[in-house]
Amino acid sequence: MKILEKVKDNTFLIVITVAYILMFLIKPDLGVASMENSVYYIKEMILIMPVIFILTALLDAWIAKEKITKYLGKESKVKGITLSFVLGCISAGPIYAAFPMCVMLHKKGASVRNLVIILSSWAVIKVPMLLNEAKFLGIKFMAIRWVLTVIAIVVFSWIASKIIKDEDIGKKEEKTSGLTLNRESCMGCTLCTKNYPEIFGMQGKKAYIKSFDAEVDKESLSQTILACPVRAIHYNE
Amino acid sequence: MDIFTAAMWIGTIVFLLISLKKDKSKTLKALKMAFGMGKGMLGSILSIIFLIGLILTILPPENIAEFVGSQSLLMATVGSAAFGTITLIPAFIAFPLVGSLVDAGVGIVPSVAFLTTLTMVGVVTFPLEKREFGLKFTATRNGLSFLFAIMIAMVMGVIA
Repeated sequence: MKILEKVKDNTFLIVITVAYILMFLIKPDLGVASMENSVYYIKEMILIMPVIFILTALLDAWIAKEKITKYLGKESKVKGITLSFVLGCISAGPIYAAFPMCVMLHKKGASVRNLVIILSSWAVIKVPMLLNEAKFLGIKFMAIRWVLTVIAIVVFSWIASKIIKDEDIGKKEEKTSGLTLNRESCMGCTLCTKNYPEIFGMQGKKAYIKSFDAEVDKESLSQTILACPVRAIHYNE
Repeated sequence: MDIFTAAMWIGTIVFLLISLKKDKSKTLKALKMAFGMGKGMLGSILSIIFLIGLILTILPPENIAEFVGSQSLLMATVGSAAFGTITLIPAFIAFPLVGSLVDAGVGIVPSVAFLTTLTMVGVVTFPLEKREFGLKFTATRNGLSFLFAIMIAMVMGVIA
């Protein structure tokens, strides 16, 4: 059972591993080439991901929800859009580096529209990239593409905000009496199982509610809820 | 390390030191949380990286450029946009490549379509994005990015 869960959670990784093994068996030189091609991306990941995770956790700890809601929430209007573009443009790293940061911002009240802007500008209009583009394709080419891309992002982020509701991001609540755990947004950090092992357990890579009854220690439970990096645990009396 | 990555490290380390001084237990909790997030995402990120390595070997960017260059404008645009969604090529390879495409006379429209989908739309990162944001968000964002990438390319074809 447990092995099956593990397999299910890591399907992607297993498929890739098998593909590599097959490649090494059939065409060893291609396998070596693939490994070499991956090295650049591994370096990139090691350079950027630790700082992203630390920064996300620190911002989560120190910046109040009201602040994020005010500056990046639904009512933030032009100010929020501008701030989102700036955030995306000055940050470093590939698009997946933006994921943990954006999940955290959304939990703290950032709107769908601003999330789309941060992700898109993070991907496509970063300053170091623009310098590179000007070098190889000319300043005029770069400038026109930059302006068009910003306009496009402004427009399609608005369309996206009409299609996607806040509840669409990480739904599927698991209910056990008054305590709920959102498995969709759980990142599998295991903090809750360490803080309150009597209630929370791990199933595959995600936390779940093992058992829950009225005899809980409210203090440690609320500590556990606050410790969750993605605010996936909720308790209503 | 480029200057932006370096700036991020320096900024975060300063932030971390201030945070440690102000509230040690809060900071340690945050660090634990950061470590947990990293552990949760590591498997997916590694899968993505090795998949990109594999794709770059089977479909080298030079071959893609060659193929796109021999198609009609419409096919070249849709084709290069589609290729762009699959791979995730770093900027220092992508821009010289596109530069040589333009020089070779492929035309601006397919080149721009390729550049934009390359970074904004990710078939490879789709599973990870879906895990973090849900299917609807991921499908909508990637779908709209693809459509608008083609529109940006066409407008560029007219003005540039």
